[in-house]
Amino acid sequence: MIRDRYPKADILAQRGHWDDATREVVLDRVQNVPRFRFFLSHEQATLVALCDRVIPQAHRRADRRVPLAPWIDQSCAQDKLEGFRFDNMPSLADAWRQGLAGLDQTARALHGADFCELDGGRQDGVLRAVRDGSPPGEVWQTLPAKRWWTYIALRQIAGVYYAHPYAWDEIGFGGPAYPRGYFALNHGAPEPWEPREAGGER
Amino acid sequence: MRLHVHLSSDWILDTEMREYRPSEAVDFCIVGTGAGGGVLAQRLARYGFSVVALEAGQWHDSERDMVSDEAGSARLYWNDLRITGGADPLELGANNSGKGVGGSTVHYAAFCPRFHPSDFRVKTLDGVAADWPIAYEEIEPYYAQMEREYPVSGPARYPWGKPHGYPYAPLEAGTAGQMLIKGCERLGIPVVAGGPVAIPAGRYGKRPHCIMRGFCLLGCKVGAKSSIHVSHIPDAIAHGAEIRTGSMAFEVPTDEAGRASGVRYFRTLANGRVLEQFQRAKAVIVAGYAIETPRLLLNSKSGPFPDGLGNSSGMVGKHLMAQAGPVVWGRFAEPIRQYKAPPACACSEAFYETDPRNDFVRGYALQTVAPLPIAMAHLLIDETGCFGEELIEKMQDYNHYAAIGVLGEILPDPRNRVTIHPSAKDQFGLPVPYVQFNLFENDKRMMAAGIARARAVLSAAGATETHFVPRYAHLVGTCRMGFTPQDSVVDRWCRSWDVPNLLICDGSVLVTQGSSNPALTISALAARTADWLRRAVPAGELTTRPRVETPVPAAEPASAVPTNGTAPTPTEARR
Repeated sequence: MIRDRYPKADILAQRGHWDDATREVVLDRVQNVPRFRFFLSHEQATLVALCDRVIPQAHRRADRRVPLAPWIDQSCAQDKLEGFRFDNMPSLADAWRQGLAGLDQTARALHGADFCELDGGRQDGVLRAVRDGSPPGEVWQTLPAKRWWTYIALRQIAGVYYAHPYAWDEIGFGGPAYPRGYFALNHGAPEPWEPREAGGER
Repeated sequence: MRLHVHLSSDWILDTEMREYRPSEAVDFCIVGTGAGGGVLAQRLARYGFSVVALEAGQWHDSERDMVSDEAGSARLYWNDLRITGGADPLELGANNSGKGVGGSTVHYAAFCPRFHPSDFRVKTLDGVAADWPIAYEEIEPYYAQMEREYPVSGPARYPWGKPHGYPYAPLEAGTAGQMLIKGCERLGIPVVAGGPVAIPAGRYGKRPHCIMRGFCLLGCKVGAKSSIHVSHIPDAIAHGAEIRTGSMAFEVPTDEAGRASGVRYFRTLANGRVLEQFQRAKAVIVAGYAIETPRLLLNSKSGPFPDGLGNSSGMVGKHLMAQAGPVVWGRFAEPIRQYKAPPACACSEAFYETDPRNDFVRGYALQTVAPLPIAMAHLLIDETGCFGEELIEKMQDYNHYAAIGVLGEILPDPRNRVTIHPSAKDQFGLPVPYVQFNLFENDKRMMAAGIARARAVLSAAGATETHFVPRYAHLVGTCRMGFTPQDSVVDRWCRSWDVPNLLICDGSVLVTQGSSNPALTISALAARTADWLRRAVPAGELTTRPRVETPVPAAEPASAVPTNGTAPTPTEARR
């Protein structure tokens, strides 16, 4: 059970203290969630199911859940480059498409149903098989499973999540501090405006 | 043209910049505006030469383009397609590249140590790698210049390498940085607080003081950090240099005499149109860093230069060195809040030199690092592939982590190299770099020792558990300087052995890399080369190819020799 470690955190309430460019970029992320353009409907269902297992958000209030899959869809639609491609991996968009198909192949081999139809426990089993590097499924004969898991699936989904101010609240991150700066530098102390950790912090 | 760029919160570079016609043969066309190219442009313009510097990216206006946000900062990096491979493939982009005026100094952490005297003689001392054709003493005065010009703050006495002091006082450390200091002190490991870091502790000219915002790696919005677009480029422009942005160099053509005649490049206009242009120049300096520099030379093939320009030795692209940069983090019971204050604030070079008690040669440094949330999540993911509640709960400890970066010396090896990929093309249709990288035994042993040491330091500081993930930083070495046209790409002045008016002046000329962040050394080499050009151009030296000189072994003051009891293995006398 995930505890709420910073129950009073609301970093977005500090946005009046941020500079214009930063505020624009963060609010755009919060307010303007893209629509699916790249993945087909079954792929969308697989991706949403995957995101739910990587970053479970059932414990959060419905209006405080962070949309993840639409941002992955957007990077694929733009075929966004991140400075490199492994010589044994396809492009970002192809890697996503193949990997999602691979999750279904592994799910069918292990449990006889598509990934999105399995319960959470079985989905986790599929993901652990991918993480361990040799899951059943034709896709994984050419797509390196471990590398897909770390670089494509986990890093990207977590990258979307921890870019969001609601995730910053969950970990007690003070966030943008320009132009006002940080002043409490010793003993890991919070600024007067920063969230305190539940259960015994100054 | 009129420039209007925020360099800091209250400094607008609002000035007329001289522009040259591409058909006009300028004295120097420089490719790249980072730690090497930026300093060269500034020096050469001051010395009265006409200078055009081509920059593939754009200006980073500190108010408009820089944000306090990890996910929103991709424009700082070189994100064009590159293919990576080998047994230990490097991730490219983000932390080891830069695009835009100032290059990667825009988003570096700003650790600016000097190399040690031993770095220039690794072959002589340890029988591995190669010696530089220059000694520490030849670059030393330029280190001192750069430490004043960046400027670099640090302790009044810095005990490692050739001991020296810093001209500007140290910056305060945050709690995370204090953990490195505390752990080292408890273990009796010498450590320094407050530098060497290119962030002055107070106001500096038009630059405000640091506000401890902690987003150094995403560009300094404040303008306190010394990046080349703040420290040197404005002066270059004031002295008549043109910084031509949106200009992606793709070929250095030669004339019938085998001399570089200028640089061909794609210029992307504000309206998105892409023009192919040719800037004529009397001399060309390539300063595009360790991947783009060899790529440009290898893509500049012609009849007289069938293997690429300046590549008669076959050495262009070889000896790529990444610096080992494993991140080691510990969990502390008390809060740390590592995101406050500049990540670069304390270090130890106590394990930098070869120690005969080790099972490896050369060494590593320990430096403070402070991953922001996405970077921290990526570390946790890379460590175990964890997900779900486990990942979320580990991330909820974010404010209880303090981290140390192990910065270790990976030795040069010709199998680590940049070539041109046979089929992949970038957005301009240009063949892209193929980067192959492998760790070898000495590298692995050094990294293991560095990781163990960092874990011990964090434990001594009070960490209840420690973790690590391998990482790499700083790419150098792909056009090394050397003694002869056979053993290297450039001579002691960074000039091509093959093409008399072609120079290469960036991290790619480094022969070894020590355990020092390379920016200061790259800038110092650039300043030194500029001083040589100031004499060499009027003397007509750029009309003939470099001669092989018999290098005079440098005098070695006692203080420059490591005192760790290493028995030097004189495997090869200096030629």
